[in-house]
Amino acid sequence: MTVAEKVPIAAPSDSVATSEVSLYRNVLQLKKEHDLEELGIAFYDSETTIQWSYSGDHYFHAASTMKLAVLLGVMREVARGDLTLDAPVHIRNRFTSIVNREPFMLDLARDADPDVYGHLGKTLSVRELAYWMITKSSNLATNLLVDVVGIANVQQALDELDIDGVRILRGVEDQAAFNAGLNNEVTANGLLKLLRTIADRKAPCSEEMLNIMLKQQYRSGIPAGLPKAARVAHKTGNISTVNHDAGIILLDGREPYVLVVLTQFPAETGRGTAVADVSRDIFNTLSQLTYEQ
Amino acid sequence: MSNNHQRLKVVDAFDLDDELRALLRPGDMVRDEQGRRHRLPRYFYEIASHEEALNVRLTPHFGINEFLLVDLKEAQPLQGFPRYLPCAVRVLAFYLEHFRAAAGASVHIAVNGGYRSPSHKMSEHATAHMWGTAADVYRIGTNILKTKELIERYNDLAEELSDDVTVLPYGHITGKNADDHVHVDLGYITVIPREISEDRMEMPQENRPRFAFEERRRRERRAVISAGSTGQE
Repeated sequence: MTVAEKVPIAAPSDSVATSEVSLYRNVLQLKKEHDLEELGIAFYDSETTIQWSYSGDHYFHAASTMKLAVLLGVMREVARGDLTLDAPVHIRNRFTSIVNREPFMLDLARDADPDVYGHLGKTLSVRELAYWMITKSSNLATNLLVDVVGIANVQQALDELDIDGVRILRGVEDQAAFNAGLNNEVTANGLLKLLRTIADRKAPCSEEMLNIMLKQQYRSGIPAGLPKAARVAHKTGNISTVNHDAGIILLDGREPYVLVVLTQFPAETGRGTAVADVSRDIFNTLSQLTYEQ
Repeated sequence: MSNNHQRLKVVDAFDLDDELRALLRPGDMVRDEQGRRHRLPRYFYEIASHEEALNVRLTPHFGINEFLLVDLKEAQPLQGFPRYLPCAVRVLAFYLEHFRAAAGASVHIAVNGGYRSPSHKMSEHATAHMWGTAADVYRIGTNILKTKELIERYNDLAEELSDDVTVLPYGHITGKNADDHVHVDLGYITVIPREISEDRMEMPQENRPRFAFEERRRRERRAVISAGSTGQE
């Protein structure tokens, strides 16, 4: 556990310390209750300037949280004038593995995005693909955008912002790469840094990214642990044994906070509500600290 | 729609501005995958607007717009209007019309599956797409072509149309096979519409623009000729 980076001046230090201890206990309890193999948490609160993490540098399979990095890579190209959001992209289900250069196709039956594959043979704009990649986690949109900008440019976008803890090697559903152990990986601290650059408007086209992320359609993670009035710009990620959520939480009357929750569990367990429960705990802790100030 | 609206403008690409000429490369020699050299087309239809692309039909079932669909892999200046399409596209449309009749269903050309300029990112080697004489068909009727069985069935149908037609066999090697479309290919055909006067000069002619309007084909054209005939020839 990382000790709070900065303690708010107005808040009594024993309150922060007490809250940290309490949060740590709750996290351990949640990990046990949900039978999690691994749990990574990181948050930064702009209101209290508290940053906290639990196993913040542990690497997880990124699942669909890698799409945040792809979004960043796309927006970097847009900001540089090398790409426009209105540029048309051919919708084609044919990609090349990074391992053997063999072509592969996505299993469209598994992808929840008829909004994209319904356009096979036609075009969608870069903006539309970015929207579906984030809001409905479209794998087809993701791989098409990876083809457009290139993995090297996605990694370059991360490097330029000094974001470590986010390793992007490939698009999604590249089975040959998966079998070879070549996967995208993230840490809670890595994703936290990525989201903070967006929240602080330091990333290229931050406003555009926020607007897309606010339209996220899967809300069983972080938002499920928050009051209904909370607005969350976030990206979920789950495969058979991991379930993640990473987002910027916007609440009336206070500065936003950024939260990343990464979970890994045995295949037979199922994803459960661990992410939402952690989100609730963090919200309660921060509410208490904010109130005390 | 007036008759005038459907008369296609034919231009000599040597008369286009420097940027377009550099992208279309009229008359340049390019090599195919086997190293054979082919001369790129010089005479193009100039399509002024999206509306014109939608309205002008080359055959009863194929409009100009279907051969112009590209994405961001095409050079940016060639994505907007006016657009340029090699005149041989009319021959391709003719064969596709017969292909459609043989298939008994509508034939859909994929994006980047009609004309691709030499500046298109997929134009690594000479392909008939750069002559406007190849089409990648991704859907026939309601069938999305993604299985070996479907692609081979329609490949056979396309090849039976004429010895002029070649296809790519089913397989996964880009450029040699196709696994998500039927590639209908007529080879490197160059068409020079009868209305334009050929000129050996390969420099822009500022005072003597080389363009013409192609007369309407088929019944309408014959009707115009018949009405204008004086019987004195």
